[in-house]
Amino acid sequence: MSLQSSFIEIFISHIKREFLINFRSLVDVISIISFMILIVTLFVLGIGPFEEKLRLISNAIFWIGLILAIIPSLEKTLQRDYDNGWLDQTITSPTPMELILLSKSLAYWLIVIIPLLISLPLFIVLLNINLKLIPWLLISILVGGLSISLIGIIGSALTLGAKRGNILLPILIIPLIIPILIFGVGISEAVRINESPVNNLFLLIGFTLIYLVISPFISAFLIRIAISR
Amino acid sequence: MLYLQDVTIKRGSKIVFYNWNAKIKNSKVTIISGKNGVGKSTLLRAIAGMIPLEKGIVKNYNNEIFKDQIKWGQNLIYIDSKNGLSKDLTVYENLKTWSEMKGWKTSDDDLQKALDSVDMLNRKNLYVSQCSEGLKKRAALSRLYLSLLFDVEFWLLDEPTNELDQNSIILFNKLIQRFLENKGTILLACHELKLFDFNFELLNLDLLKK
Repeated sequence: MSLQSSFIEIFISHIKREFLINFRSLVDVISIISFMILIVTLFVLGIGPFEEKLRLISNAIFWIGLILAIIPSLEKTLQRDYDNGWLDQTITSPTPMELILLSKSLAYWLIVIIPLLISLPLFIVLLNINLKLIPWLLISILVGGLSISLIGIIGSALTLGAKRGNILLPILIIPLIIPILIFGVGISEAVRINESPVNNLFLLIGFTLIYLVISPFISAFLIRIAISR
Repeated sequence: MLYLQDVTIKRGSKIVFYNWNAKIKNSKVTIISGKNGVGKSTLLRAIAGMIPLEKGIVKNYNNEIFKDQIKWGQNLIYIDSKNGLSKDLTVYENLKTWSEMKGWKTSDDDLQKALDSVDMLNRKNLYVSQCSEGLKKRAALSRLYLSLLFDVEFWLLDEPTNELDQNSIILFNKLIQRFLENKGTILLACHELKLFDFNFELLNLDLLKK
């Protein structure tokens, strides 16, 4: 009696598993957000009480804070499952590794994005972000966050089993994140000077779609190498 | 019947098996024995598809097993010392997510019976982080019961008895007995041969290396 579930069902059940694991030990999720709040606060305090200065660089601070806060948690996404043997189990299962990695990056994206959206009002107050910018900021975080997590999975797969992976990982993935940073900040800057931000948004979406296609394949390839060692 | 033909397996830069031929009989238990580091785990991992073969083919009757990874994935259970249990989930949740990943639709009843078969039912809501090594191993072995319900042909077990107590070994033997009745084939790497109360074929890798 072999009742075969479809790939969609496997995909959804995998996302559920990631949610269960991550929201049970909330430490990772909370650390991302609190780390980001700390980075932003440090910037704001460092600039001092000059609204003009803050207005010029607030968008950059927000994005850099987001990237720096996400990076430390990226390494764990695959390392945990590699250490406890779950990846060995997935490779000896009928489910393609690519599908599992896609569900992993989508789950990671949701896990980071949901608390970030909840704490967004705090950042708006801290950075004195203009209200007309908020819808654009939301879209750019959603799209940019997805590509950061897709890139992050590649980096995480690349450093699997490596000593000092936590130092190697940022060096490897920050260059890949640079386009996301440029277009993400570009969207906000365009709104600030009353231009249309659509061009930058399309470029950001374009990059995300490219990563959406290639990231599962590259990271599955890297994981197979890590497991065969 | 599993045929290994001219198989060369490398681990890193070291050649572990060189142009090796072997035959593994079906509906039987084959115990792979040998000294530490002789290549028992490497062989199991290679057959499971985790280490790509440098050369040669592995056939299940006439089908090359690595040609169709999806079919082969449905056909085997691989358990090694790492168990593959997430420590943030309970024993029950681990089994459930694992069977979903295998693509099986299991009812709650099946999962309970599976845990009962290794005497873990009363501990099903225990977090894996709180389990001892023996309990973790038993939780991993509960997958074997589930595989009896679906058409799985092969069990590849890497030292499954290491942390088990006396009682669990009896339960493990029972599972093996049932699998053999289902015409299943078991490949087992193990040092202690007197733990098993069934007939087995012995594949001694020490002899090969001479």
